[in-house]
Amino acid sequence: MENLLEIKNLKVDFFVNKKLVPVIDGVSFCINKDEVLVLAGESGSGKTLSALSITKILPHNAIITSGSIKFSGSDLLVMDEKQLVDIRGREIAYIFQEPTSYLNPVFTIGDQITEVIMLHQNKNKESAIEEAKELLSLVKIKEPKRVLFDYPHQLSGGMNQRVFLAMALACRPRLLIADEPTTALDVTIEAQILQLLLELKKTMGFSLLFITHNLSIAKRIANRICIMHKGKIVEEGSVEKIFDAPEHFHTRELINAYEKIGKL
Amino acid sequence: MQDKSLKIGIFIIGLFVVMAIFAPIISPYDPSAIDQDGLLMPPSFKHFLGTDTLGRDLFSRIVFGSRISLGIGLVAVGIATLVGLMLGATAGFYGRRVDTVIMRFVDIMLCFPTFYLILAVAAILGPSVFNIMIIVGLTSWMGVARLVRGEILSLKEREFIQAERSIGASNLRIIVRHLIPNAIGPVLVSATLGIGGAILLESGLSFLGLGVQPPTPSWGNILIESKSTLGVAWWITIFPGFAILITILGFNLISEGLKKKMGN
Repeated sequence: MENLLEIKNLKVDFFVNKKLVPVIDGVSFCINKDEVLVLAGESGSGKTLSALSITKILPHNAIITSGSIKFSGSDLLVMDEKQLVDIRGREIAYIFQEPTSYLNPVFTIGDQITEVIMLHQNKNKESAIEEAKELLSLVKIKEPKRVLFDYPHQLSGGMNQRVFLAMALACRPRLLIADEPTTALDVTIEAQILQLLLELKKTMGFSLLFITHNLSIAKRIANRICIMHKGKIVEEGSVEKIFDAPEHFHTRELINAYEKIGKL
Repeated sequence: MQDKSLKIGIFIIGLFVVMAIFAPIISPYDPSAIDQDGLLMPPSFKHFLGTDTLGRDLFSRIVFGSRISLGIGLVAVGIATLVGLMLGATAGFYGRRVDTVIMRFVDIMLCFPTFYLILAVAAILGPSVFNIMIIVGLTSWMGVARLVRGEILSLKEREFIQAERSIGASNLRIIVRHLIPNAIGPVLVSATLGIGGAILLESGLSFLGLGVQPPTPSWGNILIESKSTLGVAWWITIFPGFAILITILGFNLISEGLKKKMGN
């Protein structure tokens, strides 16, 4: 299989009180074409930060100190801002945890979806609106015409996550990074969104980097799982290997936690 | 109560704006026409608000003066808001050194006794309506800059700005399309308040002879001409003063109303 993304020895430090505090300490992993890679770990283990490092959309006090991030052959870390802006949203797209707060409150859904389309494709407003409508029906929103003119606060969390997914997929990215996209949603909506993600992955053919702390989700959707703990990847392997023969104590902790909840 | 202050304010200002736009229709006389039989005439049916020392109709002069005074208020505040928005947003968004440089410059500008600075500049460049607009505008943007910077500082940490970066929006686009529309509320409030301040400043300048030059009427220079005859012709002082008072009251009411409306 072909490597789509290859991260080698990534180190990220936070600038706190004029001192550098290491947060990600030498992370390496790769994502193959058409693969679902789940990055799992507890809060603060550096999952999200690793994901944001990929296109350098880190918080302003975070600095990437070393490593390389190769995306289909070219190193993203040596690219300048202009080249990165072109890749974000077009080649690599994100969906995030709290869909409602990740949408701009003062613009309508239609405005925000057409913005992505017009940023990366040479399209005029009318055809962008047409495309936005198609995208909304693609993510199974009923009455896409009406939703175009709605503001984020008028929609439910699940609807907003679908809208955000539509934005992320607007330019047919090759890699979708989903950062705990269902954590803020209830279980039935969670199941729907996961289902939708897998369906769209099949039809549109993107690779998926899925971040979660919930191993039951990982088990459902992953091809491979990386377990992160304190800024390092402590274990990596296929779903069967992780669940049947966990090596690291943190992997066992996570599995225990999920099994405990299952017994309740 | 809150609705009333906005409505009353808009009504007052609307009245003055209509007066300014239709000045030639509303005023019964040419503002510079001299009635040789009627010097220093008290208010009567012939001269609605009386005449001044040269026998010019005071009502017509106040009506035409509203064009100059409101014009200066609007343009000066327009300039101030634009400069303040640009510098404040730049400082807030980029932070660190850019922020330090811009905000220290703001501090320096605030340290100058603005009125004397304006006096000096007006004395050098020569007093004209155009110069006054620019001078007043360029010396009153600091408040806006501080306000905008504060708003941007908190807004840029919001999730939807990160989402915006993730879809490949450039910094400039994020500032102009996403940060400023979210920060515009308080700016609008302070701008309406600022118009009143600018009109007052123009009146003060004209009063000192460095503002709008006669025979062009502005509320300020009608006032200055009245000071020698204050003992015998009260109307020349009272009416333009009243016009200034009511206008500033109107803008303050609008600003108050907007503030309350946005608080809800």
